[in-house]
Amino acid sequence: MTEVLQTVTKKAILLGNEAIARGIVEAGCLVATAYPGTPSSEILPAVAKYADEMNSPMAVEWGVNEKVAFETAMGASFAGARSCAVMKQVGLNVAADPFMSVASYEMNGALLLVVADDPGPHSSQTEQDSRYFAMFAKIPCFDPASAAEAKEMVFDAFALSERFKIMTMLRPTVRVDHCRQDVELGELQKQPGTVRFEKDASRWVSLPAKVRINHPKLNKKIADIREAFETEFGKYNYEVPPKKEGVLGIVASGVSFSLVTDILKGMGREDVGILKIGTPQPLPVKMVASFMEKYPKVLFLEETYPVMEMQMPDRTKILGRWNGVVPSAGELLPEVIAEIVSKVLGPGAPEAPETEMLKSAIQELGITPRKPMLCPGCPHRASFFAIRQAIPNAINPSDIGCYSLGVNQKGLDTVVAMGASVTVSSGLSLVSRITDDKRPIVATIGDSTFFHMGLLGLVNAVYNKHPLVLAVLDNSITAMTGGQANPAVGTKLRKGDEGRVVDIEQACRGCGVSHVVTLNAYDVAAGKAAVKEAWEYAKEHEEPAVIIFRYPCMLLRHEQAKIRVMVDQEKCVGCKFCINFFNCPGLVFNDAANKAVIDDRFCVSCGVCRSVCPHGAIVEASGEGR
Amino acid sequence: MQYIIVGIGGQGILFSSKVLGKIAIDRGLSVAGSEVHGMAQRGGSVISHFKIGEYKSPLVQVGEADILVAFDQNEAVRNLQYLRKGGTLVVNVHDEKAFENASLRSYIEARGIDVRSLKGYDLLKKHMGGNFLFLNVLLLGAMSGAGIGDFSYDEVAKAVKDLSPSKFEEDNMKVLELGREATHKK
Repeated sequence: MTEVLQTVTKKAILLGNEAIARGIVEAGCLVATAYPGTPSSEILPAVAKYADEMNSPMAVEWGVNEKVAFETAMGASFAGARSCAVMKQVGLNVAADPFMSVASYEMNGALLLVVADDPGPHSSQTEQDSRYFAMFAKIPCFDPASAAEAKEMVFDAFALSERFKIMTMLRPTVRVDHCRQDVELGELQKQPGTVRFEKDASRWVSLPAKVRINHPKLNKKIADIREAFETEFGKYNYEVPPKKEGVLGIVASGVSFSLVTDILKGMGREDVGILKIGTPQPLPVKMVASFMEKYPKVLFLEETYPVMEMQMPDRTKILGRWNGVVPSAGELLPEVIAEIVSKVLGPGAPEAPETEMLKSAIQELGITPRKPMLCPGCPHRASFFAIRQAIPNAINPSDIGCYSLGVNQKGLDTVVAMGASVTVSSGLSLVSRITDDKRPIVATIGDSTFFHMGLLGLVNAVYNKHPLVLAVLDNSITAMTGGQANPAVGTKLRKGDEGRVVDIEQACRGCGVSHVVTLNAYDVAAGKAAVKEAWEYAKEHEEPAVIIFRYPCMLLRHEQAKIRVMVDQEKCVGCKFCINFFNCPGLVFNDAANKAVIDDRFCVSCGVCRSVCPHGAIVEASGEGR
Repeated sequence: MQYIIVGIGGQGILFSSKVLGKIAIDRGLSVAGSEVHGMAQRGGSVISHFKIGEYKSPLVQVGEADILVAFDQNEAVRNLQYLRKGGTLVVNVHDEKAFENASLRSYIEARGIDVRSLKGYDLLKKHMGGNFLFLNVLLLGAMSGAGIGDFSYDEVAKAVKDLSPSKFEEDNMKVLELGREATHKK
């Protein structure tokens, strides 16, 4: 990609997240930070890649959590650097504290927050709409409809931030983040202004007296930005008029605009006008109102909450979420939009008669969607099995990551938010103090989640003397989001930039945990013994104990011994214990034979399942046999 | 031309849309597609949308795909509604009996779907030591070798070569050829 510097414009097929990253680098951003989270995870690694290729002087860093990442970028912007923080929607919940406060600051360098939403959701605990957060904080928000537009908006979001001295938000949704589209590439620009932190307590120290001055100023800024969105941003906010007399108007933002455009084209409708909005917060209300005057009824399509709809003072003509025309949950998929549009325009096209045949086929063949599950050979599967078998009656709070899929191993009882494994355990330990429920508590958390928010909960448990076992499932990577580094890994993103490993065991000891054991996660017997021992210690000393189950993630594709296994069909009694508690894609149940068998399409020959069968039926295979 | 590529997370389906995308952009065509990342990638059902031409949105509507490429036959059946009438299914089959299901056969017939199947697992077991990560290249070889879609076998071979990490290049070329030889009309 080095030839990029020799040509002014060049097209490339980029993932939406790569397009955003490219925009961040080209715009001369000097500090970019993030915590990985689907659908935003690919942005920061791509920023580092482009920064290396284009010789940008910028700093690119993972923060240990979104609040840390956000505040790091924020600090740099105080010094005048164009700065950017990237996260997923639930990450903004973590960063909400500084986000809300800094919204009213008179900023120096640009501060851009890229927050990726996940309508569906595909990989999240919530379906929240971050544009509401922009409204809550009273900052402007750009809502891209395509990868190319997302890239373009990055430049404008930086410029708007500098012009109004206010933080700005770019809110792509998953379909923009993970679309692949041809995008024009540009050159590296130099960021405007000088970069140096100037001491000014009246500006950078937030006290109530200061807020009383800043809040009215913020109101004025957002009113001025609304006016700017009415008139100056025609490239993002524009009408696509109908060719014939319009029977329906559609106000659409984000990928819903792209979808409905293709759908209307496919339907051959030339009597529907569209107003495309790329700046839904603050909404250019006058522009929308004058569009609405032209049509007898107007449909609002946006994801996932009615942000535009709610800003209109008169909603009587609006078909949207307030009157149930548009569903209030779930992704606006093409078929969902097609159905809404068909209904609104009159009787929809009848369903093809053969659809029933396909439904019958799917039912008769017993085909169901495959649920996500831990990879074959995943060390977490071994850890969950050991934890569950060591103390079968324990309560197992868990956390956010690949290992949330441990639900398939019946290895976890709660999952809420990053770090909540430890704190839910604390709550349960308080309950056991005052009730007869003395069940052991063994929680699980990943290495990245441990540093993200688990550490604080652990300090709290040490301080308050909560007896619980915390099992850190350390696969030495942030796996669910695609393999990003974290403090347990120690590497950094830009070439030549070195980090330092923060040792989990040392960190636990430093927090005051006395019983810390590290073991090989593949060693099920050792894992079982360690869990029992740790709980005894925790109970006796009334304090948390930690076990670190360590083994690298399968996605890192490290070399390991291949131990081919087979199920001895004589010994297998068909009890399904291995299916219920180990649940590996490589180990399936043959209903006809009432026996477990290895599915060599998925088995990676890790050999762990040999320690699973209570009847000793899973054994190493000799020769070619299975 | 609109493609849907389905399979199970971990089968390497993203590589297929990368290859098609590279060919399209080398020809100067516009493309749009959508991929699955994150939790859904972990062994669950995954779907990639891929469109070549003047489209605004990255998603294919139900009933409009020209070609459905399925790394797994169950995923093929589950997503068959994406194919337009007269569309083509390229499918990796592990249990042929399923295609004898009367309802499925009548759907395929009613929609005039052209089914091209290959036994990818058997082929890779026989020729590639059972390394099923080559399924993506095998299916690309089968598809282009049978003249399905916009792209010639040579174009696909060049793109696969360009996008392959050097240590897989030779094997990928071998598997592509296997795919070309293997396609048969079902």
